[in-house]
Amino acid sequence: MSLTILPKPAFQEFVSRMLADYRVAGPTPKNGAYVFEEIHDASELRMDYPTTLLPPKKFLLPTREVLFKYTRQNGGVLQDPPESPPTVILGVHTCDLHAIQLLDTVFSSGQYDLHYMNRRKKTLIISIECLNPCDEHSFCKSMGTLTADEGYDLHLTDLGDRYAVDIGTQAGEQLLAKYANARAADKEDIQQLNAVISAKWPKFPYRLDFDVSELPSILELSMKSPLWQELGDRCLACAACTNVCPTCFCFDVKDEVELNLVDGQRVRQWDSCQLDEFATVAGGHNFRASRALRQRHRFMRKGKYILDAHKHLGCVGCGRCARACIVDITPVGVFNELYRQQEAGS
Amino acid sequence: MSANGKPKIAFFDFTSCEGCQLTVVDSLQDHPELLNAVEIVQFREAMSEKGEDYQIAFIEGSCTRQSDEARLKAIREQASIVIALGACAHLAGVNALKALHPLEDVRKYVYGDKWEWYETYDARPIEAVIPVDFAIPGCPIDRNEFIAVVKALLLGKKPPIPDYPVCVECRLKENICMYTKGKVCLGPVTRAGCGAICPTYGSSCEACRGFITNPNQDSMKDVLEEAGLSVEDITAIYTMFTTYQVREKLLQKG
Repeated sequence: MSLTILPKPAFQEFVSRMLADYRVAGPTPKNGAYVFEEIHDASELRMDYPTTLLPPKKFLLPTREVLFKYTRQNGGVLQDPPESPPTVILGVHTCDLHAIQLLDTVFSSGQYDLHYMNRRKKTLIISIECLNPCDEHSFCKSMGTLTADEGYDLHLTDLGDRYAVDIGTQAGEQLLAKYANARAADKEDIQQLNAVISAKWPKFPYRLDFDVSELPSILELSMKSPLWQELGDRCLACAACTNVCPTCFCFDVKDEVELNLVDGQRVRQWDSCQLDEFATVAGGHNFRASRALRQRHRFMRKGKYILDAHKHLGCVGCGRCARACIVDITPVGVFNELYRQQEAGS
Repeated sequence: MSANGKPKIAFFDFTSCEGCQLTVVDSLQDHPELLNAVEIVQFREAMSEKGEDYQIAFIEGSCTRQSDEARLKAIREQASIVIALGACAHLAGVNALKALHPLEDVRKYVYGDKWEWYETYDARPIEAVIPVDFAIPGCPIDRNEFIAVVKALLLGKKPPIPDYPVCVECRLKENICMYTKGKVCLGPVTRAGCGAICPTYGSSCEACRGFITNPNQDSMKDVLEEAGLSVEDITAIYTMFTTYQVREKLLQKG
């Protein structure tokens, strides 16, 4: 919409002021890595972080949450969990921003997910432009997620001593007006912004050997590839890949009863298609009993099934799964190998 | 069932440190209401009464001598449900380590010149002697898991013991992977449910909860070899808690 400028000291003030009214989460250091965490002081933030262990998704879809509490007395009474607080997520990279747009689509279409959507509606997102690759595993440029023109309330670009702030929504504009001392961008700001943006693109390599628009058809023709068995032999089925993924949204639902066997709560927690029991149904049949089938399913979801169902690719190229995999199964490696096999076969 | 309608439960110990029973006692501090739900009729670690009319038996410890067998069978005879409590009962655990040495050497090492006075043989999980309905894994058991198992049994449900690896809990806690730190860890093949407590506090997983149903041991071995471990090193970490399982596997293969 429009561009404003926030000098860095003013950004710190902006965060401090928001802390009075919002739960603020952002990238913070932890044990030599970075995590999205609720902060209590602006100084905790590391806006120049490379990447985080888990994506910011955890603030919209917690790893574990109580859906409701119940009692079996008086014919059964349901009690909703406490409302989640208004939240600002700061420092979201554009890969994760694309992932959140996918999650919004998934949870608002079909079976409307009240818990996710209530939280989402109370969340403002302040994203930040990546000016350098986080490491050798990210492939955002190939996936078209190295920038974003929507999905944020405010979007920051680091201009050294100040941030250029792009206003994405009315809510973002109001947030800025209420909590920040921003000024309008002048000609020099705009020139510098353009220079920074055009300087960043050559720094990011394309890592797929083909155009991403070909990915769904490559996968469609790869159902019988011998690669899946190779992956299945290596895969430990530890679910690290899906647990760190910003777009994975599968969960399990369980009832936890109190020892009085009358009161209880229904919880949901993240689940993974890579786990042995994931596709086991009543009666005991497992639709994807082998690791090879589960790995194939995972990559089909990322590059084809999710796109077919939700019009967004299921992979945003953040590289977290590649970083997390102990046996070096990576989306770039898999997609390029499937492409190579097809080129060799055609 | 007792007159008050509560199921009667009993605790028994075989070769073990009794740390799992201590964890049960500990869990009563967080959940005193457990005593409203069940009647404990026998629990040597915590009470002097000794009732024999129990329906649910929790057994800690491994079977390590001939005379354990009759006692185990008598418990099985009485109890409708038998639960292995902790790694010693579930896996034989560290007790099974003695199988890696000649039995006579082990007996002399422990009992000196009186070694012939004390009977012992290779340690086995109780499942090797009597049918076991469920196991609560771990060294020691996780107190929350113990409570969750009791609740499930009271509801007539299967206890909610996870069948996925420790890595799941570790990643969700945003721990740094032990392999990223340059260490090795058995988390990828080990049953979760402990909240990845060891990696969370900086120690590698040593599989005290046993393996998941379908671990990829071939790939795990490759990972350990790539990390620079020799066959002896790998054997050493695999025999901390799972000597019995590793030996059984090797015996099956011949």
